[in-house]
Amino acid sequence: MSTALAIAKREFGSLFRVPVGWIVIALFLFLTGAVFVTSALLPGDPATLRSVFGTTTFMLVLVAPAVSMRLFSEELRTGTYELLASSPVSSFQIVAGKFLGALAFLVVMLLPTLIHALVLRMASSPAPDPGPILAGYLSLLLFGCLCLSLGTVASALTDSQTLAFLGTLLTLVCWVLITNTAPKFVSPELGAKLAAASYLIRIDDFARGAIDTRHIVFFLSISAGLLVAAGAALEHKRWR
Amino acid sequence: MIEIADLHRWFGSVHAVRGVGFEIPAGQVVGLLGPNGAGKTTTLRMLTGIIRPQKGSIRIAGVDAIAEPTKSRRGFGYLPESAPSYPEMSVSGFLRYRSQVLGVPRGSRKSQIAKAMEECQLGSVAKRRIGQLSKGYRQRVALASALLHDPKVLILDEPTNGLDPTQIREARSLIGDLAQDRTVLVSSHILPEIERTCERVIIIGAGKVLADGTPDELCRQNTGGGCIAECKGHGAKISTTLAELFPGTEVSTTPLEGGWWRVEVRTSDANDPCEQVGAALGSARIQIRQLRPTVAGLEDVFVRVLDESAGAEA
Repeated sequence: MSTALAIAKREFGSLFRVPVGWIVIALFLFLTGAVFVTSALLPGDPATLRSVFGTTTFMLVLVAPAVSMRLFSEELRTGTYELLASSPVSSFQIVAGKFLGALAFLVVMLLPTLIHALVLRMASSPAPDPGPILAGYLSLLLFGCLCLSLGTVASALTDSQTLAFLGTLLTLVCWVLITNTAPKFVSPELGAKLAAASYLIRIDDFARGAIDTRHIVFFLSISAGLLVAAGAALEHKRWR
Repeated sequence: MIEIADLHRWFGSVHAVRGVGFEIPAGQVVGLLGPNGAGKTTTLRMLTGIIRPQKGSIRIAGVDAIAEPTKSRRGFGYLPESAPSYPEMSVSGFLRYRSQVLGVPRGSRKSQIAKAMEECQLGSVAKRRIGQLSKGYRQRVALASALLHDPKVLILDEPTNGLDPTQIREARSLIGDLAQDRTVLVSSHILPEIERTCERVIIIGAGKVLADGTPDELCRQNTGGGCIAECKGHGAKISTTLAELFPGTEVSTTPLEGGWWRVEVRTSDANDPCEQVGAALGSARIQIRQLRPTVAGLEDVFVRVLDESAGAEA
C-alpha cells in the first residue's frame, strides 16, 4: 500500500508541477463560481446548490478526462513506464497509486467550492438544508471516481493523451445517450433496463438529498471494476 | 546470478528473440553486443519483467523471474535505454520517490539515497530540476535510481547512448566503479564501449546468441589464416616472392621507415602460415625483424560472426 501511496503522491504533485493542473483548477473554480453567483444567489429563490451541482457534474465530464488522460499515456510516451514496470510493484498497485493521485487532485479542486455552501448559509434565511448539499458533494465524489477510473483504463490503453481524453469523454457521452435518451425510443422493458444503468438518474437522486446505498454501490463497484480492467490492460502489455 | 534459457518472443509474426540463453556468474561484467534490431533490448525487457517471454526461463539471483516477477525485480537495478526520468522533479525528490517504489525500508532511505548520489557524483545537483540538467547528468540520475536498493545485479541498456565523448568516458569510468562488487550486464552496439568495460562478450544477432566468450577468446577463435611480417628489402620483390611460394594467398605491403616493409599475408584457409612464411622469406634471404599471426579485433569478430550468421540464414 505504501508503494501505491508513493505513486499517488508523485502523481498528485506532478499535476501541480505543470501548468495544465493550475489551468484546470482555475477554469473549474471560475465557472462554478459564476454559476453559483448567477443561479444560486437569486433573491426570493429557495436556498439550494442544486444548479451548481448540476453544472459541476457536467464540468466533471470534461475535467476528469483531462486529469486522467496523462496518467499512463505520459509515462508510456516518455519511457518512464519502463521504470515502473521493472520495479517490484504489481500492475494493480501502479493503477491504485495513479488513481488515488488523480482523485486527490479532484478533491483539492472541489474543496474551494465549499465556500459556496458557507456563503449560501450566511446569505439565506432560513438556512439551506445541509442534507442535499452533503449528498451533492458525495455524488460529485462518486461520479468523479467513475470518470477517473474510466480515464485510467483509457490512459493505460494508449500512449496518446488526446486519444485517452477523447475515449473517456465519448464513453461518458455515449453512456448518457444509451441510458437516458435511448430508453425513450425502445420498449418499456428494455428502456427500464437501460435506465437502470444511468449515472445521471442517480446523480439527480443525490441532488434531491436522497443518499441511496444502491447508488453508492453502483458508482463504487463500476469504478472498482474499471480499475481492475486498467490493471489487466497493463498486465496485457507485458504479453503483447 | 543471471540464468536465462531458450527465451523466445514474438511480436505479431516477427520472431524477435529465438532461443537466447546464457548464464552470468556473480561478479562478472558482461557485454551484450549486437546491431540495432538484434534483440538486445527485447532480451533485457524480458529479463527485467517489462515484457514476458512466450517461451523459456529466467532466474535472477536464484529467483524465477516468470513465476515470481515482483520478487525477482527486487534483485536488480535497471537503467533503461534513454535513461527516462521525470523532468519536472528535483534530483533528490526523484530519488526519494524511486526509493519508495523500489521498497527501500523507511529507516535506510536517506542513507541509501546519499550513497547512490555519492556513487554517481550528484551532490552538486541534488536540488536542481532534472529537466534542467545535461544529458550526462540525467544519465547519472537514472543510474543512481537503479542503485537505491543496493542491487547485486545491474542491467544497463545502452548506457552511453546520446552522450558526448567526455560524458562517454565519465559514464564508462562510473560503470567500471559500480562493477567492482556487482554483476553487470551492459547492452550496447558500440564495440569500444563493450571492449573496454566488459570481461565477457555475448554477441546477439537476429534474435540468437552468435558468440559468447571473453574478448580475447573470441578474437583468438576468429584469428588465423594470415600473418604479419616486418621485412627489409624491396616491397615488390617481397610480394612477388611470397605470391610465387604461396599461390592463392593475398599479399599486401606497406613501407615503413629505414627500408623496412610491413607485409600482410592472408591465406584462404584458417591455418596459421607464420612458419612457412618465415621459412620462405629466410630462404629468399629476406631479413625479418618481426613475424606474428594476424589477430582479429573485436570489430573483426563482430563483423565475421554476423556475416556467418547472415550467410547461414540465406
